Amino acid sequence: MSQKQVSRDINTFSLWQQTSLIASTLIGVGVLTLPRTTSAKLYEAGWLAPLIGSFWVFLSVWMIAKLSDRFPGKTFIEYSPIVWGSAKHPRLGRWLSLPWVIGYLLFLYLSTAIVARVFGEVVVTSVLLDTPLEVIIITMFLLAQMLCMHEVDVLARINELLFPLILFPVLVIAIASFQKAEWNNMLPLYRVPGRALFEGIYETVYSFSGYEIMLIFYAYAHENQSKVKAGFYGIGIATFVYTLIVLAGIVVFGYEELQRVSWPTLELVKTTQVPGLILERLESAFLAVWVAAVFTTVANAYYAFVYGLRQLFNKGIQFQRIISAILFIPLFFIALWPQNIVDIFRASSYLGIISLYLNLGIPLLYLLVVFARGMGSKAKERKAGG
Amino acid sequence: MHGVRGPFFIGFSFPFLGTLSVHLYRKERIKGGRALSQFWKAWQRRKETLQSQSLNLHADKSMESVSDLILSEDVGENISLIREELGKCDDLVIRRFQNKDNKDCAIFFLDGMVDRNIISDFIIRYTTTTDVTYEGPATNELEATDSLRQVIRNILSGTAVLLVDGNSQAYLNNTRGWDRRSVEEPQTESVVRGPRDGFCETLCVNSALIRFRLKDPNLRVRHMVVGQRTQTDIYVMYIEGLAHQPIVEEVISRIEKINVDAVLESGYIEQLIQDRRWSPFPQIQNTERPDKVVANLLEGKVGILVDGTPFGLIAPAVFSQFYQSPEDYYERFYIATLIRFIRVISITIALLLPSLYIAFSSFHPEMIPSRLVIAMAAGRSTVPFPSLVEALFMELAIEILREASVRLPGPIGPTIGIVGALVVGEAAVSAGLVSPVMVIIVAVTTIGSFASPSYSAAIAIRMLRFPVMILAGMFGLYGIMLFLIVILVHLSSIKSFGVSYMSPLSPLNLLGMRDLFIRAPHHLMKTRPSMFHVHDKVRMREEDKP
Repeated sequence: MSQKQVSRDINTFSLWQQTSLIASTLIGVGVLTLPRTTSAKLYEAGWLAPLIGSFWVFLSVWMIAKLSDRFPGKTFIEYSPIVWGSAKHPRLGRWLSLPWVIGYLLFLYLSTAIVARVFGEVVVTSVLLDTPLEVIIITMFLLAQMLCMHEVDVLARINELLFPLILFPVLVIAIASFQKAEWNNMLPLYRVPGRALFEGIYETVYSFSGYEIMLIFYAYAHENQSKVKAGFYGIGIATFVYTLIVLAGIVVFGYEELQRVSWPTLELVKTTQVPGLILERLESAFLAVWVAAVFTTVANAYYAFVYGLRQLFNKGIQFQRIISAILFIPLFFIALWPQNIVDIFRASSYLGIISLYLNLGIPLLYLLVVFARGMGSKAKERKAGG
Repeated sequence: MHGVRGPFFIGFSFPFLGTLSVHLYRKERIKGGRALSQFWKAWQRRKETLQSQSLNLHADKSMESVSDLILSEDVGENISLIREELGKCDDLVIRRFQNKDNKDCAIFFLDGMVDRNIISDFIIRYTTTTDVTYEGPATNELEATDSLRQVIRNILSGTAVLLVDGNSQAYLNNTRGWDRRSVEEPQTESVVRGPRDGFCETLCVNSALIRFRLKDPNLRVRHMVVGQRTQTDIYVMYIEGLAHQPIVEEVISRIEKINVDAVLESGYIEQLIQDRRWSPFPQIQNTERPDKVVANLLEGKVGILVDGTPFGLIAPAVFSQFYQSPEDYYERFYIATLIRFIRVISITIALLLPSLYIAFSSFHPEMIPSRLVIAMAAGRSTVPFPSLVEALFMELAIEILREASVRLPGPIGPTIGIVGALVVGEAAVSAGLVSPVMVIIVAVTTIGSFASPSYSAAIAIRMLRFPVMILAGMFGLYGIMLFLIVILVHLSSIKSFGVSYMSPLSPLNLLGMRDLFIRAPHHLMKTRPSMFHVHDKVRMREEDKP
C-alpha cells in the first residue's frame, strides 16, 4: 500500500514550531537550581543574571541563524564540508570539518546524559524515594528512543504540543508564589562588584545551553526570514521564565535561605499553595509535568545528535533507529559516571563552559570563514518529510 | 486453468534467480549492508508473489473464474451455459415462456432477491400479451449484454435476465427488491437536536440520503467493487472543486489496491486503507449519520459508503473530530462550547482517573487533602489488595458488565447494568473487597467514557486506560506522564491521508482553533478549515451581519 504524502507543503517547521523547539529545549533541569546558583554570586540581584546573561545567547542564536541563511536547507553537518573544502578537494573539506562536527555531536551526546542524570536525581530524592535512579534514566532514554524512531517533522510537532504544558505550570507556580513574597528581600537592588556579575552570568550558562540544536534544525525553517525571529522569541521566552523563577525564589525565600536548599524551584513549589485547588503539596504534580520539559531537552538534544550522525554517514531512517538504540547503552554508563550530586553539578558546569565555547566559537569561526571565502547562496527551503 | 497459474510459478522463482545472479556477479563490490537490503527486497518480492498467488486462487473460484464467453443465439444453449456456471443452485429460478413472436424466452433470477410483481407484470405480461405494442420488457432500468460474466454477475446481484431465442443479447432488468430495513434513527450517535434519519444497509438508499441534503451538481460519486467473493459495491463521494484532488486520488487508489476476498462491513475498508495499521487510534471516521457525512464533504473530505452496512466512512480524519458531534453546530454556540469542554474533561477522566487514584493512594498520599486521605484510608483499611490490583479488578468487572449488557437482549440489558453496578458494587464494598472511593471512581470513569460522541474513539481511550494504570502502579504520577508523552509522540507521528492527525493543534493553526475546543459562532467561521487543503475556502459570503 502506498504511503505517499498527499501534500508536502506542511513539512517545514513553522515559526511557532521553531520557537517552541528552542524554548522547550532550553527549559529543562537548569531551572530547578537556577535561583540558588545565581543568588550565590549576586545575592539579592540574582534575577539580573539570566536577564543579562541572555545577551550572548541572543548573539549566538543570531549568528547560528545567519549561518543557516547562508546555506538554506542544509544542516550544520551538511554545510561544514562546503565551508572548509573547495570544489576541487571535497574530501579535504570533509576531513577539516570533522573535528568541529565531532566536537559538536559529542557535546550533544554528553549533555543528554547529564540532563537525564540530574532529573533522575531530582525524582529519586524528592518523589519516588524507593525507585532506583537507573530506572528513571532508562525510562527517559526509552522515551527519547520512541522519538528517534520517527522523522524530523514529528520532533517539531511534539515540541509544539508539549510546550504549553511546560510553560503553564512554571508560570502558575511563579505567579502563585508571589502571594508569599517578601518584597524587601529584593533590597538592596544591587550591591556586588562587577566581577560578581560575570560570575553570576557564568552560572546561567548551563541553563541557557541547548539552542545549539538549531545548527541542525534551522535547515527545515519554513521561511528563511523567520529563523532569527524564532530564535529571539524562543530565547526570550526562556529568559522570561528564568528571570521570573529566580525572582520568585529570591522574594519568597531570601538569598541566604536559597543557599541551603539543593533544588530551590522545587522548594518553591512545595511552599506554594494555589487557593481553591484541592491538592496539597504540589511538588509531585510539578515534577510529573516537568517530565515533559526534561523530555524535550533530552530528546531534542539526542535527536539532534542521532540525526547528525545519520547525515554524517549519509544513511536513512533505519540507520537512525538502530544507531540511537545502540548508543543509549554507553550513554547510560556516562550518565551514571558522576558519583554524587556535587560531581553532577561540577560536570554540568563544565558542560556549560564547553557550550559557551562551542556556541559562540563555532558560528563565529564559520561566519568568518564564510565571509573570507565569500560563500553562501539563497536556495529553496527544505522539507522535513524525508 | 493451467494457463492462468503458469506465470505465477515464473514470477515466484524469477526474483530469487535474478538477485542471486546479481549478487554473485558483483560480489566483490557489494558491501554487507547492500547484500542485506537485496536479501530484504528478494524476501519482500517473494512475499508479494505468494500473496498474489493465493489471491488468484481465490479469484479462480470467484467471479473471474467465470469463463469470459459470448452468449450464443440459442436459448437452450445459453440456459445450459448459465446452469453450468452457477452449478447446483436451487434458488435460481428459470422461467421459460414464448413471447408475442412465438420465440422461446427464458427469464433468470434468484428467488428472494427480486420483486416478483415486476417480473410477472412488466416483463412476462408485456412480452407475451399481443395487444401491447411495446416491444421488450418495461422495466425502469434496462441494459443488454452478450457477455456471460456480466450475466452471471447481474443474476447474483438481483437482476432478472431475459434471454430471447435468436438474439445473443441478454436483457438485464433491474428488479432488485429484497427486504430491506427502512431508514431509522441511528443507534450509536443519537442527538437531541438534529435530523433523526440514519444510514441503512442499502447503498442506494444511503447515497440518496446524502444527495437530498447536498444538491450540489459538483458532488461526484465513484462506484467501485471490492471483494473477490462478496463483490461489494462501494461509493466514493466528494465535491469536485472543493476537495483536494490528491487526497481523493489517494483514497481511490488505496481502495483499488485492496485485494481481499470479502468486505462485510465498512470496517474492512477502514482497516485496510488507514495509514497506520498498528495504531490504537482510528484514522478514518465512521458514522451512521448522513448529515455528518455531508458536513464533512463540505469541509473537503471524502465519504465512502459501503453496501450492506449502515456505517459510512469519512477520510481523512483528525483527532479532534472524534470528539465533536454534529449537534455542536445545530445548537447555539455557547452551549456547544460548554459541551465541548465537558467532553474534554470526560475523556480525560475516562483515561486518567483510575490511574490518578492509584498514583495518589500508593505514591503521593501527601498531595491529597488530609481529611480526605483519612477518609480514604479508613475505607481502604479492610481492602486486602494494593490499589493497583483493586483498580484493575474493578475496571475488569465494569468491562465485563458493559460487554454483557451489549450482548443481552434489549429489555434485560439495562437491568443487568443496574444489578451489576449497584448490587455487586455495594456487596463488594460491604464485604471489604474494594474501597467505596474505588467504586465511585470506576463509575465516574465509565460514565466519562460514554460521553464521547464516537464509539471507535472511545474504544481507544478504554483500551489505553489499562497500560496507564499499570504504569501508575509502577511509577506514580511519573509513570502517567511517561505514558502521556508516548501517546503524544505517537499521535503527532500519525498522518491521515497526508493530514497531520493532531492538526489544528500541531501544526498550530490559530484559525483552526475556532472549531476545536470552542465552537465559534457561524458568522465567525466564514472560511473552511484549511488543514484539508480545500480549494474553495469561503463558506459564508455575507458582507454585513444580518
